[in-house]
Amino acid sequence: MADLNKDEIRAMGKAVGLTIEDPELTEVMYSLNALLESLDAINPPGLNDVEPLPIILPPA
Amino acid sequence: MDKSDLPFLSAGELSRLIQANQVSPVEATEAYLDRIDALDFRFNSYLTVMRDQAMADARQAETDLQNGNNRGPLHGVPVAVKDQFWSEGVRSTGGSRILADFVPDEDATVIANLRKGGAVILGKTNMTEFAITGFSHRYSTPRNPWNIDTYTGGSSSGSGAATAAYLCATSLGEDTGGSIRFPATWCGLVGIRPSWGLVSRYGVMRGVWSMDTVGPISRTVEDAAITLGVIAGHDPKDAYSSTEPVPDYRKALGGDLNGLKVGVITEFMESDLVEPEVLQAVSKAIATLGELGATVEEVSIPLSMDAGVASAVLLAVEPALAQQDWTKDRIQDYGHDVRIMLLTGSLLPAQAYYKAQKLRTMLRRQVLESLEKYDVLVLPTSGKGALRLEDDPPITSKETAGRLAFLFTRIFNLASCPAMSLPCGFDDRNMPVGLQIGARPGGEETIFKVAHAYEQATEWHTMRPPGA
Repeated sequence: MADLNKDEIRAMGKAVGLTIEDPELTEVMYSLNALLESLDAINPPGLNDVEPLPIILPPA
Repeated sequence: MDKSDLPFLSAGELSRLIQANQVSPVEATEAYLDRIDALDFRFNSYLTVMRDQAMADARQAETDLQNGNNRGPLHGVPVAVKDQFWSEGVRSTGGSRILADFVPDEDATVIANLRKGGAVILGKTNMTEFAITGFSHRYSTPRNPWNIDTYTGGSSSGSGAATAAYLCATSLGEDTGGSIRFPATWCGLVGIRPSWGLVSRYGVMRGVWSMDTVGPISRTVEDAAITLGVIAGHDPKDAYSSTEPVPDYRKALGGDLNGLKVGVITEFMESDLVEPEVLQAVSKAIATLGELGATVEEVSIPLSMDAGVASAVLLAVEPALAQQDWTKDRIQDYGHDVRIMLLTGSLLPAQAYYKAQKLRTMLRRQVLESLEKYDVLVLPTSGKGALRLEDDPPITSKETAGRLAFLFTRIFNLASCPAMSLPCGFDDRNMPVGLQIGARPGGEETIFKVAHAYEQATEWHTMRPPGA
């Protein structure tokens, strides 16, 4: 997966109403690319078959 | 006993003296306020000291006791609470400049429960900004009483410093990704993140709604048991809070560990993120559990080392959404690392968030399957002891983007399980090391039983930080 560059980060920001410029732009680029790269590398068998229930509900 | 010695009692010991009418709540509160006045300039543990209200509460607690109105084990005991919780009429900043003047008109339920239980609230403790990261502070940075040139761990940093420095008898923190257990391990304390839903989140500034939990940071296992018992329970203001009755956790304390099965998570024990002295201390602690009668076996949880990445996505996305208006309009009012985190969280694609939640489901299954075979799972809380204080460095590459990979707490946040950190030794710099004990949802009593047996077989809880 190719890293996002500054122009792409800036455009993604614009899409959600954020104006991101340096010095934050560079740091957000590294931070976002690092997280996406790490997440992309995790692909355990069966991942497509699970549902993303985020909690265990306490007893009602 | 001299008044100045009272702060060095455990909350349990102080409670028993108060109940026996041998110490007055007023005397105990004055003793703690005197220490805060004299010493907190070193530790920066409090953001707001509630002096007048604390003294008024102490006098009321004394009157109630004299009238036979005993409210329980925290009656008259001075406690500290994280500034992440609303406190009626008292500013509640969440460690931020943005909420520097925010004064709620009601208490968070955990604070209301402390008051119902007769506790005396000394003040609001320092914390990382909105509890979002482990290090960044917008006011002063709390200092670790074991070495004031090191961090306490966060985000409940002030609660850790205040408890370790004997500036309160027990305290409350909040744990979304490890924010109770992290300061507990680095400050040589007992901290428990309870099962999600056991303690109300009403009036708690949000992090990740499905992982936020309020719990105690204390000096002993008994103190943590007492404190949790007072704050836990159903709250109509939190729709997801449990309706199960709250047990008296003190009844779980005592006895040996015969018949108990302990699973040692191999992925963490074998990780190169664990420093040798930490591994040695934790391994010795695990051997002690065996000597106390537990059956100890190794267990593999294949996704355990991926908990950090999956939780990092959730911990970036949800606060960014919760604070999207401020992120758009007031981004420069945030500190550096929180600013970067919120912007990053604002841009993470929905696919990433969805994948992280799916990984969470898989990890939780693996943890719960292990807990069908074992009563508790054990591992180091952190791979290293407290880091030295330093400026918040800029992110200059992908490799420098993550700063908390050594923190092994998040597996239990993702699995919605209770987990405790308790002291089990020191590293080569004489900084505390923590053993982490996790159990199935609702398994707090089992954790208290194991932790108390270990604590009573060792002397770590009796050691006093040089800075205190």
